[in-house]
Amino acid sequence: MRSHDNNAPSKFWLSFFRWFCRAEYKEDIEGDLLERFDLRVDKQGVKIARKLFAKDVLRLFRPSMIRKIEGNQQLNYYDMFKHNLIINIRNFRRHKSSFLINLIGLTSGLTCVMLIYLWVNDELSVDKFHENQEELYQVMSNHSDASGISTLRGVPGLLLDEIEASVPEVALATAYTDIHEYTLSVGDRSLKTDGRFASAHYLEVFTYPLIEGNAATALSDNSSILITQSLSDKLFPDQNAIGKTIKWHFWNSSKDFIVKGILENTTKHSSEHFEFMLPWNYYHDELITFKNWGNYYGRISLLLNNNHNKDAAISKIDQLFKSNSKEENVALFLTLYADQYLYGKYKNGKQMGGRIESVQLFSIIAIFILVIACINFINLSTAKASHRTKEIGVKKSLGATRGSLTIQYLMESMLLTLIALLISFLAVWLLLPQFNFITQKQLALTFDWSLIKASFSIVLAVGLIAGSYPALYLSKLKALDILKGKQSPREGKAFGRKFLVVIQFSISTILIVGVLVIVKQMEFVKNQNIGYDRDNIVYFEREGQILTQYEAFLKELRNVPGVDKAAVSGFMVGGMNATGGVSWEGKTPEDQIQFFEFNTGTNLLGLLDIALLEGRDFSNEYSNNTEGVIFNETAIKAMGIKDPIGKTITHYTGPRQIIGVVKDFNIGSMHRQIEPTLFLYQPSETHFIMAKIKKGTEAATLQKIEQLYEKFNPDFPFKAQFVDQDYQALYISEERVAELSKYFAGLAIVISCLGLFGLTAFTTESRRKEISIRKVLGSSIWGIAKLLTGQFSLLVLLSIAIGLLISYFMADSWLNDFAYQIKLSWWFFAVAGVIAFAISWFTISIQTFKAARVNPAQSLRSE
Amino acid sequence: MGKYHLGEFEEIVLLTVAILHGEAYGVSIIDEIESRLKRSVSIGALQTVLRRLEDKGYLASEFGQATKIRGGKRKRYFTVTSLGKSTLREAKEQRVSMWNAIPEISLND
Repeated sequence: MRSHDNNAPSKFWLSFFRWFCRAEYKEDIEGDLLERFDLRVDKQGVKIARKLFAKDVLRLFRPSMIRKIEGNQQLNYYDMFKHNLIINIRNFRRHKSSFLINLIGLTSGLTCVMLIYLWVNDELSVDKFHENQEELYQVMSNHSDASGISTLRGVPGLLLDEIEASVPEVALATAYTDIHEYTLSVGDRSLKTDGRFASAHYLEVFTYPLIEGNAATALSDNSSILITQSLSDKLFPDQNAIGKTIKWHFWNSSKDFIVKGILENTTKHSSEHFEFMLPWNYYHDELITFKNWGNYYGRISLLLNNNHNKDAAISKIDQLFKSNSKEENVALFLTLYADQYLYGKYKNGKQMGGRIESVQLFSIIAIFILVIACINFINLSTAKASHRTKEIGVKKSLGATRGSLTIQYLMESMLLTLIALLISFLAVWLLLPQFNFITQKQLALTFDWSLIKASFSIVLAVGLIAGSYPALYLSKLKALDILKGKQSPREGKAFGRKFLVVIQFSISTILIVGVLVIVKQMEFVKNQNIGYDRDNIVYFEREGQILTQYEAFLKELRNVPGVDKAAVSGFMVGGMNATGGVSWEGKTPEDQIQFFEFNTGTNLLGLLDIALLEGRDFSNEYSNNTEGVIFNETAIKAMGIKDPIGKTITHYTGPRQIIGVVKDFNIGSMHRQIEPTLFLYQPSETHFIMAKIKKGTEAATLQKIEQLYEKFNPDFPFKAQFVDQDYQALYISEERVAELSKYFAGLAIVISCLGLFGLTAFTTESRRKEISIRKVLGSSIWGIAKLLTGQFSLLVLLSIAIGLLISYFMADSWLNDFAYQIKLSWWFFAVAGVIAFAISWFTISIQTFKAARVNPAQSLRSE
Repeated sequence: MGKYHLGEFEEIVLLTVAILHGEAYGVSIIDEIESRLKRSVSIGALQTVLRRLEDKGYLASEFGQATKIRGGKRKRYFTVTSLGKSTLREAKEQRVSMWNAIPEISLND
């Protein structure tokens, strides 16, 4: 024997050899293997010997060495398999209705699950394509003020150089801006498209591949531009774009850039889509007027050398920031870049969900639907068990063991699931275009390894769950009892079935309430008076001639038939700039208030129908507009100023006198509380022209506005946006959830009803004789219908009660996420309950009335 | 059907078993082939051929004594049967007669 075990060959290969090798060869060949192994250990060392041992074993794995499957064993397995298959198929054929119910239920369940799987998988893969995504972090800032902590991506752009110079934990860092729509022109052609400014290392930190050009140097030069393949095709069809000049315009600046590289188009796995990239240095040096540590205009991402250094890097970056900005109320921290997509919401400085909530919600719905479909299968097959007890009795008395019967029933459920899976592949393929339309994704059914693995594990899991209960239950029956006709299996298990029906309908009720609440809340939010008018208001960017001649433009615009009002505007749904740079009499160091800031000209408040509470709007009748400021109620309250009109505050641009106070309005979505807001009179700094159009004339008026625009700006593309649409866009993810949950809830109810339908069909059928005798003895159709439906009605009522209770708590917690929410009124639950009850009662009564109306002579004659 | 013709590797294995004369078992046969012919042989390949030759009746085998080495497993010793010997001899004679039939010229390049 060998003295120490670490000189032994791997156990795995040895037992593999013992498993496959013929018994008569086993001993001496194993001896040979071991002898050879020992020789090699002496000569070449354990490691190599082990490797060669495995190779030897593998090369022994050949037909002449592998043991034969013993004759009778092989025969039996094969025959039993064949036999079971035949029985399964015969069973499907004989009980067509329950087969179809199961098949439809499982197929729709699996289709849902697969669609949701594709969607979830896609959501999980967003932004994970960056090569170094494990070490790729985003610098975030937490701003604390009186109302709590708000978390932003913005950081001072000056931070980049400091990080690069003095944080050794950071391998590479890059600063960039959010993606914005700019006008690009080549010659006399121009278009509007999305782009961003990014610093030199951007393409090394992120993996956006370059088709042409050098990733390391492409953005280091102040006059270079990178464009995507698709933009290149648009601007320079059939030409090589490298070296060509593109003119970039934004508001009052424009500059010529030279194409230094072609990027691949951004993929669907990227959360950010841009068509071009400009050098950060140009942005930083030329466009930022307040280049200081209190201005959060930059976005910074960085690669860490080592994830273990994350905490050290965070504290160093935060220290760097604090020592430069002297700002005590802002703290910087790092979050994984790839996490931002799914975990993007922050509440009071803490990470609180985000898209991951929808991912979880839909995963739960998928499981619910699958459970409902499994329950159908369990219920129907145990209910039908009484038809199959004879088969079981005969089999058992001929020597079938419980194990082999269990296998038979499991095989049946697996077979059914497999058929359902194949059909649902087809269904998914048919439904995908519609599903993609709703979810705004580009999902595709590709049979890659992970999909195959996932779908087969689903088949296995569903087959086991759906099949295990009937399999264990039916195989338990005693042969003697069955054949004597002693035991009627239907009676014993009625409780279990009832329980499962209750679960099914509770889930359905929860889903109905959920859909009602989501849809109602969305309606509420969309039609809520948010404090300003957003209907029929268009806006477009001030560019070219309109920058300087805006007064003339506005004059002509107001004369366009269909245009009600027009003004220059810095207003944007969601707000653009926020500032902490406001001080007032009595401000203490704790009074940190972030104000949203809008630039305006005259008449904007009137156009947006924002109500004035006190004072006046900026107006041409007064000459001191420039020194004035208008606040909203919340801002005045937050600053604690009494009798505000006429008081003076200090804005970071100079002292301002309060000339008006407006009623509160929601800047962003209804998720957010109303925030302190101020309006400044800076018409030349405003970015947009805004116009209110008369209702019903939108298309015609827009066309006229475009003609007017082209008169002033023949070289610029005209693109008008509706304020209303911007507002709706804030709720896009909720809209999708609402839309999808409608479909899924509907489906869940249909599947539940299918199950109930099957169950009632079964009970009425098995009580056919009883019904006939009752009728002969004088019972009315109603009496019989009541008898049959009574039991199920009670069950459904019970489950509705349970479902309503659970759904109340779920709806309540969902609504809590909105700052403004609907009241959960009783009628949601009443409607949901009535719907669930009506559907189920309708399902039951189809069967029962049919049964009750059968002529007793026919069903009693059969024996 | 005519006589069974030995394959090249089969012939080498038969010859090696004859060379080792009573000491031929798995590992020793491999060692012998490897050292004489500088050709590596896997256990799998060798065992397949050994069993085939045994089935044809060219080889016979029996277990030796269990020893402490090789995990206590016994060795299976192979010997060439008289059928094996005559087949080997025949193979050799065939080759020799073919060699003799080659005209002198065709071997001188």
